[in-house]
Amino acid sequence: MSQRILVVEDQEDNRRILRDLLTSADFEVIEAADGEAGLAAAAAHRPDLILMDIQLPGIDGYEATRRLKADAVLHAIPVIVVTSYALAGDDGKARAAGCDAYISKPYSPRQLLAKVREYLSPAAPLG
Amino acid sequence: MRVMAGLVGLVARVPARVQAKLLAAFLTIAILLILVGAVGLRVLTGVNERTEELIKLQRKIEAYRQVQHDTTSQLYSVSSALLSSDDATLSSTLRQLNQFGYDVDRLQFVAKDEVELLARFRQSYDEFVEIVTHAVELIRTGHASEAREMQAVQAAPLADRLERLTNQLVNKSEADIVAGIETSKQAYESSQWIVIAFALGSIILALALGYTISWSLINPVKAIEARLNQVAAGNFTHRVEVINRDELGALAVNVNKMSEELGRLYQQLETASKHKSQFLANMSHELRTPLNAILGYAELMLDSIYGEPSEKMRTVLERLQANGRHLLGLINDVLDLSKIEAGQLTLSLDDYSLGDLVHGVVSAVEPLAAEKRLAFKAEVAPDLPTGRGDERRLSQVLLNLVGNAIKFTDKGEVAIRAFATNGAFTVAVCDTGSGIPAADQAKIFEEFQQADSSITRAKGGTGLGLSIAKRIVEMHGGRIWVESEPGKGSRFYFTLPVRVEVQAGP
Repeated sequence: MSQRILVVEDQEDNRRILRDLLTSADFEVIEAADGEAGLAAAAAHRPDLILMDIQLPGIDGYEATRRLKADAVLHAIPVIVVTSYALAGDDGKARAAGCDAYISKPYSPRQLLAKVREYLSPAAPLG
Repeated sequence: MRVMAGLVGLVARVPARVQAKLLAAFLTIAILLILVGAVGLRVLTGVNERTEELIKLQRKIEAYRQVQHDTTSQLYSVSSALLSSDDATLSSTLRQLNQFGYDVDRLQFVAKDEVELLARFRQSYDEFVEIVTHAVELIRTGHASEAREMQAVQAAPLADRLERLTNQLVNKSEADIVAGIETSKQAYESSQWIVIAFALGSIILALALGYTISWSLINPVKAIEARLNQVAAGNFTHRVEVINRDELGALAVNVNKMSEELGRLYQQLETASKHKSQFLANMSHELRTPLNAILGYAELMLDSIYGEPSEKMRTVLERLQANGRHLLGLINDVLDLSKIEAGQLTLSLDDYSLGDLVHGVVSAVEPLAAEKRLAFKAEVAPDLPTGRGDERRLSQVLLNLVGNAIKFTDKGEVAIRAFATNGAFTVAVCDTGSGIPAADQAKIFEEFQQADSSITRAKGGTGLGLSIAKRIVEMHGGRIWVESEPGKGSRFYFTLPVRVEVQAGP
């Protein structure tokens, strides 16, 4: 059975790139366009990993991550935060929110895939 | 002291120009000097007058003594002349008696105080002369015995009386001179005290005046100076309080106005700068979002996610990717530079290994050097101490220098050397490229200044990299420079303290 990844991202192109990339790598992709929808989708589909954008309408990626990590059931799901600014301090905020890893834009799809695989197969981490 | 402070305040509040106040003060002091001089002169004149008075008295005494002496000798010569009965002697005696009478008359001009005494003397003398004249006539008419009786009964007591009167004259004027000396002494003492008191009063008044006028000018100048120091240090909130109603008061008002205006402008500038930084941050995000999508799609296509692209298409996709990355580099550099200029770039100071930093950069650029068939080597001194600084930013600096070296070198080699001396790291990036003319060596660290702008287009690059590198090195308290000669390659160096604990100003 293919592993399921939840992509929380408000930008359609970015969502599509991730979907195309991850689908071609044989992952099942669930999409959410904002924080609330992301939390609902996480609860409904129990993904194996969540890719979380920071700049989201409504509750932002930091807050969504905090809520996920505070949830008794969902806290075990690895969250990779995608920071949009290359500003000093964002990585610190992402860690403080409780994410498992972060990757800053601009990222190359190949790097992202490597990072995703690292968290999905702990027995055989890549890169 | 409180009185003086009150006076200072009072003078400060006088609505007159500083010039007028100073003039008034100096005039007052000049008038005081003139007054002291006048009082001294007045006292001196008094002393002189009393001295002259004493001299007159002295002369009078001498005159009286002369009269006393002359009277005695007259009386003696008269009594001896009457005894001799010689006609010639008698005549000469009578002449002398009359002559002496005139002398006594002249005394009237000096003896103003003894008029009554002198009148009595004169009266007695006249009586005496009359008796003697009578007696002389008796002798001449042969009544010598009657004449002698007349002399004994009438002239002798008169002679005694005349002698007493002259004694009284002398005594009285001697008493006068003693009294005069005493008066003069007392007058001198009292005038001495008047002069001393007047001089002391004037000195105290002049000092008080000088003190008040000086401090009424110095106080506001000091207050304004202190305020200007605060303004110079960037504090625009306080006001200077000056009570003066002269030029200094006007100056204080203007200083306050200037400070307020500066404060307002400073605030505007700060707000504008914040807006600018925020705008740039937002802008760069907005620019990067679609660019990320473009780069993402290009990479997916190159990775054959959407099917195998043709060789021609692959070339175009690679060009698309290269240009997209260049644009991303430009956006990042502009953001970095604007943050540095706004003083918003803060270093994340942490421990790092310079060796690891160099090797990280080497592995990132090695493929580029290999592509241009350049020899590429890195010499890192063994046992480098653990550094402290912003590793990510320092990597950015080295990456920029090495990237440039590879970009501008067509054959030969690019080398990195890193070592530590005296608590400072030195990193050198040497190439065998075209070199930089001396005139351009300072310019290349300025924004948008490459040695030749046509190279910018040919080689790609933002023209901001070295400027950013310079700022980052300087924020670490270090220095960056280049040694180069056209045709002989370039050697870029930067040094920085091994342990950077505090960020230096931008």
